Amino acid sequence: MIGKYDITLYNNKVHYHLTVKRNITILRGDSASGKSEFIRLLSAYNSNPASSGITLICDRKCSVLTEENWQLFTATYTGCIFFIDEGHTFLKTKEFAEAVEGADHYFVIISREKLSQLPYSIDEIYGLREDVDSGRYHNPKRVYNGMYRIFGKMVEDGRFEAK
Amino acid sequence: MLSIFFGNYQGPNYIDNPDLYFDNTYEDEWLSDERSKEMVKDIDRSDLVGPQLVVSPFLGSIPVTRLSGGVKTLIQVDHDPDHVYNASACGDNCAKWLLRIGQEKDILVCLGHMMHFESLDPVKDRSEKAHEKSILDPLNIRIDNTGEIVHSQAELNRKVILSGLLDEGGEA
Repeated sequence: MIGKYDITLYNNKVHYHLTVKRNITILRGDSASGKSEFIRLLSAYNSNPASSGITLICDRKCSVLTEENWQLFTATYTGCIFFIDEGHTFLKTKEFAEAVEGADHYFVIISREKLSQLPYSIDEIYGLREDVDSGRYHNPKRVYNGMYRIFGKMVEDGRFEAK
Repeated sequence: MLSIFFGNYQGPNYIDNPDLYFDNTYEDEWLSDERSKEMVKDIDRSDLVGPQLVVSPFLGSIPVTRLSGGVKTLIQVDHDPDHVYNASACGDNCAKWLLRIGQEKDILVCLGHMMHFESLDPVKDRSEKAHEKSILDPLNIRIDNTGEIVHSQAELNRKVILSGLLDEGGEA
Protein backbone atom coordinates (compact mmCIF):
# COMPACT_ATOMS: atom_id res chain seq x y z
CA MET A 1 0.00 0.00 0.00
CA ILE A 2 1.50 3.30 -1.09
CA GLY A 3 0.36 6.83 -1.69
CA LYS A 4 -1.48 9.58 0.10
CA TYR A 5 -4.95 9.12 1.57
CA ASP A 6 -7.41 11.71 2.81
CA ILE A 7 -9.69 10.76 5.65
CA THR A 8 -12.76 12.80 6.49
CA LEU A 9 -14.83 11.82 9.50
CA TYR A 10 -17.64 13.83 10.99
CA ASN A 11 -20.90 13.93 12.89
CA ASN A 12 -23.04 16.94 13.66
CA LYS A 13 -20.61 18.35 16.21
CA VAL A 14 -17.05 17.57 15.17
CA HIS A 15 -15.35 17.23 11.82
CA TYR A 16 -11.92 15.75 11.18
CA HIS A 17 -9.80 15.87 8.10
CA LEU A 18 -6.55 13.89 8.13
CA THR A 19 -4.07 13.06 5.41
CA VAL A 20 -1.74 10.10 5.79
CA LYS A 21 1.25 9.59 3.50
CA ARG A 22 3.41 6.89 5.07
CA ASN A 23 2.79 3.50 6.62
CA ILE A 24 3.26 4.93 10.11
CA THR A 25 1.86 8.27 11.24
CA ILE A 26 2.14 9.42 14.83
CA LEU A 27 -0.42 11.72 16.45
CA ARG A 28 0.49 13.54 19.65
CA GLY A 29 0.28 17.06 21.01
CA ASP A 30 -1.73 18.74 23.73
CA SER A 31 -4.37 16.97 25.75
CA ALA A 32 -7.97 17.57 24.69
CA SER A 33 -7.08 18.28 21.08
CA GLY A 34 -9.54 15.62 19.89
CA LYS A 35 -7.32 12.58 19.30
CA SER A 36 -9.28 10.12 21.39
CA GLU A 37 -12.56 11.64 20.23
CA PHE A 38 -11.54 10.74 16.68
CA ILE A 39 -11.02 7.12 17.76
CA ARG A 40 -14.35 7.06 19.56
CA LEU A 41 -16.11 8.43 16.50
CA LEU A 42 -14.47 5.95 14.14
CA SER A 43 -15.31 3.01 16.45
CA ALA A 44 -18.91 4.16 16.62
CA TYR A 45 -19.04 4.49 12.83
CA ASN A 46 -17.65 0.98 12.29
CA SER A 47 -20.11 -0.56 14.74
CA ASN A 48 -23.00 0.47 12.49
CA PRO A 49 -22.02 2.64 9.52
CA ALA A 50 -25.52 3.20 8.16
CA SER A 51 -27.19 4.15 11.42
CA SER A 52 -24.39 5.78 13.31
CA GLY A 53 -25.06 9.32 12.15
CA ILE A 54 -21.36 9.53 11.39
CA THR A 55 -19.89 10.00 7.93
CA LEU A 56 -16.55 8.56 6.87
CA ILE A 57 -15.02 9.44 3.52
CA CYS A 58 -11.86 7.58 2.59
CA ASP A 59 -10.70 5.44 -0.32
CA ARG A 60 -9.52 2.78 2.12
CA LYS A 61 -11.18 0.94 4.98
CA CYS A 62 -10.44 2.67 8.27
CA SER A 63 -10.61 0.75 11.52
CA VAL A 64 -9.52 0.94 15.14
CA LEU A 65 -7.08 -1.59 16.58
CA THR A 66 -7.44 -2.72 20.18
CA GLU A 67 -5.69 -5.22 22.43
CA GLU A 68 -8.37 -7.70 21.50
CA ASN A 69 -8.49 -7.38 17.72
CA TRP A 70 -5.10 -6.16 16.48
CA GLN A 71 -3.65 -9.53 15.53
CA LEU A 72 -6.80 -10.68 13.77
CA PHE A 73 -7.34 -7.43 11.88
CA THR A 74 -3.75 -6.93 10.73
CA ALA A 75 -3.55 -10.53 9.53
CA THR A 76 -6.89 -10.79 7.77
CA TYR A 77 -7.58 -7.39 6.23
CA THR A 78 -5.62 -5.95 3.34
CA GLY A 79 -4.94 -2.32 2.48
CA CYS A 80 -6.48 -0.76 5.58
CA ILE A 81 -5.75 2.36 7.55
CA PHE A 82 -5.64 1.37 11.21
CA PHE A 83 -5.92 3.80 14.10
CA ILE A 84 -4.56 3.00 17.55
CA ASP A 85 -5.31 5.03 20.67
CA GLU A 86 -2.69 5.56 23.35
CA GLY A 87 -2.42 3.23 26.30
CA HIS A 88 -2.38 -0.06 24.44
CA THR A 89 0.43 -2.30 25.62
CA PHE A 90 0.75 -4.15 22.29
CA LEU A 91 2.24 -1.00 20.74
CA LYS A 92 5.54 -1.69 22.47
CA THR A 93 5.74 -5.38 21.59
CA LYS A 94 8.06 -7.06 19.13
CA GLU A 95 5.04 -8.93 17.68
CA PHE A 96 3.35 -5.70 16.74
CA ALA A 97 6.55 -4.29 15.20
CA GLU A 98 6.84 -7.44 13.08
CA ALA A 99 3.20 -7.19 12.05
CA VAL A 100 3.70 -3.57 10.97
CA GLU A 101 6.86 -4.36 9.04
CA GLY A 102 5.22 -7.00 6.92
CA ALA A 103 1.81 -5.43 6.54
CA ASP A 104 0.06 -3.86 3.57
CA HIS A 105 -1.59 -1.32 5.87
CA TYR A 106 -1.14 2.21 7.12
CA PHE A 107 -1.03 2.76 10.89
CA VAL A 108 -1.97 5.98 12.65
CA ILE A 109 -0.75 5.74 16.23
CA ILE A 110 -1.68 8.09 19.05
CA SER A 111 1.25 8.07 21.42
CA ARG A 112 3.72 10.46 23.00
CA GLU A 113 5.94 7.62 24.14
CA LYS A 114 9.07 6.57 22.38
CA LEU A 115 8.24 3.64 20.10
CA SER A 116 11.79 2.74 19.28
CA GLN A 117 10.91 -0.57 17.63
CA LEU A 118 8.78 1.12 14.97
CA PRO A 119 10.48 2.78 11.97
CA TYR A 120 8.59 6.07 11.64
CA SER A 121 9.79 9.36 10.22
CA ILE A 122 10.07 12.53 12.28
CA ASP A 123 8.25 14.22 9.40
CA GLU A 124 5.21 12.08 10.08
CA ILE A 125 4.61 13.20 13.65
CA TYR A 126 1.52 15.39 13.79
CA GLY A 127 -0.79 17.06 16.25
CA LEU A 128 -4.48 17.86 15.87
CA ARG A 129 -5.87 21.32 16.18
CA GLU A 130 -8.89 23.31 15.26
CA ASP A 131 -8.59 24.10 11.57
CA VAL A 132 -7.42 27.70 11.27
CA ASP A 133 -9.22 27.90 7.94
CA SER A 134 -12.49 26.54 9.26
CA GLY A 135 -14.34 29.60 7.99
CA ARG A 136 -14.45 27.96 4.59
CA TYR A 137 -16.74 25.27 5.95
CA HIS A 138 -20.45 25.76 6.00
CA ASN A 139 -21.72 24.45 9.32
CA PRO A 140 -20.89 26.89 12.13
CA LYS A 141 -22.08 24.41 14.76
CA ARG A 142 -19.24 22.01 14.01
CA VAL A 143 -15.69 22.15 15.24
CA TYR A 144 -13.30 21.45 12.37
CA ASN A 145 -10.06 19.67 13.22
CA GLY A 146 -7.04 19.15 11.02
CA MET A 147 -3.46 17.96 11.31
CA TYR A 148 -0.30 20.00 11.74
CA ARG A 149 3.25 18.78 11.60
CA ILE A 150 4.94 19.01 15.00
CA PHE A 151 8.57 19.00 13.88
CA GLY A 152 9.97 21.02 11.01
CA LYS A 153 13.37 20.71 9.43
CA MET A 154 16.38 20.73 11.71
CA VAL A 155 18.20 24.03 11.93
CA GLU A 156 21.39 24.88 13.81
CA ASP A 157 22.14 23.57 17.33
CA GLY A 158 19.89 20.56 16.79
CA ARG A 159 16.74 22.68 17.11
CA PHE A 160 13.76 22.16 14.85
CA GLU A 161 12.14 24.91 12.92
CA ALA A 162 8.45 24.96 13.75
CA LYS A 163 6.07 24.36 10.87
CA MET B 1 7.58 17.93 45.03
CA LEU B 2 6.97 16.48 41.61
CA SER B 3 9.06 13.34 41.06
CA ILE B 4 9.26 11.77 37.64
CA PHE B 5 10.40 8.31 36.72
CA PHE B 6 11.54 8.28 33.11
CA GLY B 7 11.21 5.08 31.09
CA ASN B 8 9.50 1.81 31.93
CA TYR B 9 8.38 1.91 35.54
CA GLN B 10 8.66 -1.53 37.12
CA GLY B 11 7.47 -0.67 40.62
CA PRO B 12 4.17 -1.73 42.20
CA ASN B 13 0.78 -0.08 41.62
CA TYR B 14 1.68 1.33 38.22
CA ILE B 15 -1.17 2.41 35.95
CA ASP B 16 -0.09 2.40 32.31
CA ASN B 17 -3.47 3.50 30.92
CA PRO B 18 -4.83 6.21 33.23
CA ASP B 19 -7.67 7.02 30.83
CA LEU B 20 -9.19 3.56 31.08
CA TYR B 21 -8.39 3.21 34.77
CA PHE B 22 -10.16 6.47 35.57
CA ASP B 23 -13.38 5.36 33.89
CA ASN B 24 -13.66 2.38 36.17
CA THR B 25 -12.32 3.69 39.45
CA TYR B 26 -12.96 7.42 39.83
CA GLU B 27 -14.60 8.67 42.99
CA ASP B 28 -17.33 11.30 42.82
CA GLU B 29 -15.62 13.49 45.41
CA TRP B 30 -12.57 13.85 43.15
CA LEU B 31 -14.82 15.71 40.72
CA SER B 32 -16.33 18.05 43.28
CA ASP B 33 -12.92 19.46 44.06
CA GLU B 34 -12.19 23.04 42.99
CA ARG B 35 -8.87 22.20 41.38
CA SER B 36 -10.46 19.44 39.31
CA LYS B 37 -12.92 22.00 37.97
CA GLU B 38 -10.09 24.41 37.16
CA MET B 39 -8.09 21.72 35.39
CA VAL B 40 -11.09 20.64 33.29
CA LYS B 41 -11.75 24.26 32.38
CA ASP B 42 -8.14 24.89 31.45
CA ILE B 43 -7.30 21.67 29.60
CA ASP B 44 -10.63 20.58 28.12
CA ARG B 45 -12.18 24.05 27.95
CA SER B 46 -15.25 22.50 29.55
CA ASP B 47 -17.30 23.03 32.69
CA LEU B 48 -17.22 20.26 35.25
CA VAL B 49 -20.75 20.71 36.57
CA GLY B 50 -20.57 17.77 38.94
CA PRO B 51 -19.50 14.14 39.22
CA GLN B 52 -22.03 13.13 36.58
CA LEU B 53 -21.80 15.93 34.06
CA VAL B 54 -19.38 17.92 31.95
CA VAL B 55 -20.52 20.62 29.56
CA SER B 56 -18.22 20.89 26.57
CA PRO B 57 -18.44 23.80 24.13
CA PHE B 58 -17.72 21.31 21.32
CA LEU B 59 -19.51 18.12 22.33
CA GLY B 60 -22.37 19.43 24.49
CA SER B 61 -23.27 17.54 27.68
CA ILE B 62 -20.96 14.59 28.18
CA PRO B 63 -20.17 12.16 31.01
CA VAL B 64 -16.92 12.53 32.93
CA THR B 65 -15.63 9.41 31.20
CA ARG B 66 -15.28 11.51 28.03
CA LEU B 67 -12.88 13.97 29.59
CA SER B 68 -9.47 14.01 27.96
CA GLY B 69 -6.92 11.41 29.01
CA GLY B 70 -4.67 14.24 30.18
CA VAL B 71 -7.12 15.75 32.63
CA LYS B 72 -8.21 12.33 33.88
CA THR B 73 -4.58 11.60 34.67
CA LEU B 74 -4.14 14.92 36.49
CA ILE B 75 -7.25 14.30 38.62
CA GLN B 76 -5.99 10.85 39.57
CA VAL B 77 -2.50 12.09 40.37
CA ASP B 78 -4.07 14.74 42.59
CA HIS B 79 -6.43 12.42 44.44
CA ASP B 80 -5.01 8.92 44.37
CA PRO B 81 -1.61 8.69 46.09
CA ASP B 82 -1.71 4.89 46.05
CA HIS B 83 -0.82 4.54 42.37
CA VAL B 84 1.91 5.69 40.03
CA TYR B 85 0.36 7.01 36.83
CA ASN B 86 1.73 7.09 33.32
CA ALA B 87 1.80 10.83 32.67
CA SER B 88 2.56 10.28 28.99
CA ALA B 89 -1.22 10.46 28.72
CA CYS B 90 -0.70 14.17 29.42
CA GLY B 91 0.16 16.75 26.79
CA ASP B 92 2.40 19.71 27.47
CA ASN B 93 -0.68 21.73 28.41
CA CYS B 94 -0.90 19.57 31.54
CA ALA B 95 2.67 20.31 32.66
CA LYS B 96 1.92 23.35 34.80
CA TRP B 97 -0.76 21.42 36.66
CA LEU B 98 1.67 18.64 37.54
CA LEU B 99 4.00 21.31 38.91
CA ARG B 100 1.21 22.96 40.87
CA ILE B 101 0.08 19.69 42.44
CA GLY B 102 3.74 18.97 43.16
CA GLN B 103 4.07 22.28 44.98
CA GLU B 104 1.49 21.12 47.52
CA LYS B 105 2.35 17.47 47.95
CA ASP B 106 4.85 14.83 46.96
CA ILE B 107 3.75 13.06 43.82
CA LEU B 108 5.41 10.48 41.60
CA VAL B 109 4.52 9.97 37.94
CA CYS B 110 6.10 8.06 35.08
CA LEU B 111 6.98 9.59 31.72
CA GLY B 112 7.88 7.80 28.50
CA HIS B 113 8.57 11.07 26.68
CA MET B 114 10.04 14.49 27.38
CA MET B 115 7.40 16.85 28.66
CA HIS B 116 7.95 20.57 28.18
CA PHE B 117 7.48 22.30 31.48
CA GLU B 118 8.63 25.71 30.32
CA SER B 119 6.23 26.25 27.48
CA LEU B 120 5.04 29.56 28.87
CA ASP B 121 6.86 32.40 27.18
CA PRO B 122 6.97 35.54 29.36
CA VAL B 123 7.56 37.73 26.30
CA LYS B 124 4.63 36.45 24.27
CA ASP B 125 2.33 35.90 27.23
CA ARG B 126 2.74 39.06 29.22
CA SER B 127 -0.29 38.93 31.45
CA GLU B 128 -1.78 36.00 33.28
CA LYS B 129 0.38 33.29 31.76
CA ALA B 130 3.59 35.16 32.49
CA HIS B 131 2.40 35.43 36.09
CA GLU B 132 1.86 31.69 36.11
CA LYS B 133 5.39 31.19 34.90
CA SER B 134 6.79 33.35 37.69
CA ILE B 135 4.91 31.20 40.20
CA LEU B 136 6.37 28.03 38.76
CA ASP B 137 9.82 29.36 38.03
CA PRO B 138 12.33 27.95 38.82
CA LEU B 139 11.30 24.38 38.28
CA ASN B 140 11.74 21.89 41.05
CA ILE B 141 11.55 18.40 39.65
CA ARG B 142 13.08 15.29 41.13
CA ILE B 143 14.25 12.64 38.67
CA ASP B 144 13.20 9.47 40.45
CA ASN B 145 15.61 7.25 38.50
CA THR B 146 18.66 9.07 39.88
CA GLY B 147 17.38 11.10 42.82
CA GLU B 148 18.65 14.32 41.24
CA ILE B 149 16.66 17.54 41.46
CA VAL B 150 16.62 19.83 38.44
CA HIS B 151 15.59 23.46 38.21
CA SER B 152 15.18 24.15 34.51
CA GLN B 153 13.90 22.45 31.38
CA ALA B 154 17.39 22.49 29.88
CA GLU B 155 18.83 20.77 32.94
CA LEU B 156 16.04 18.20 32.86
CA ASN B 157 16.57 17.49 29.16
CA ARG B 158 20.32 17.16 29.63
CA LYS B 159 20.05 14.74 32.55
CA VAL B 160 17.42 12.56 30.90
CA ILE B 161 19.10 12.41 27.51
CA LEU B 162 22.70 12.00 28.70
CA SER B 163 21.68 9.29 31.13
CA GLY B 164 19.65 7.56 28.42
CA LEU B 165 16.68 7.28 30.76
CA LEU B 166 14.20 7.05 27.91
CA ASP B 167 16.24 4.50 26.01
CA GLU B 168 15.21 0.90 26.23
CA GLY B 169 16.85 -0.60 29.30
CA GLY B 170 18.11 2.83 30.25
CA GLU B 171 16.89 2.66 33.78
CA ALA B 172 19.46 4.12 36.14
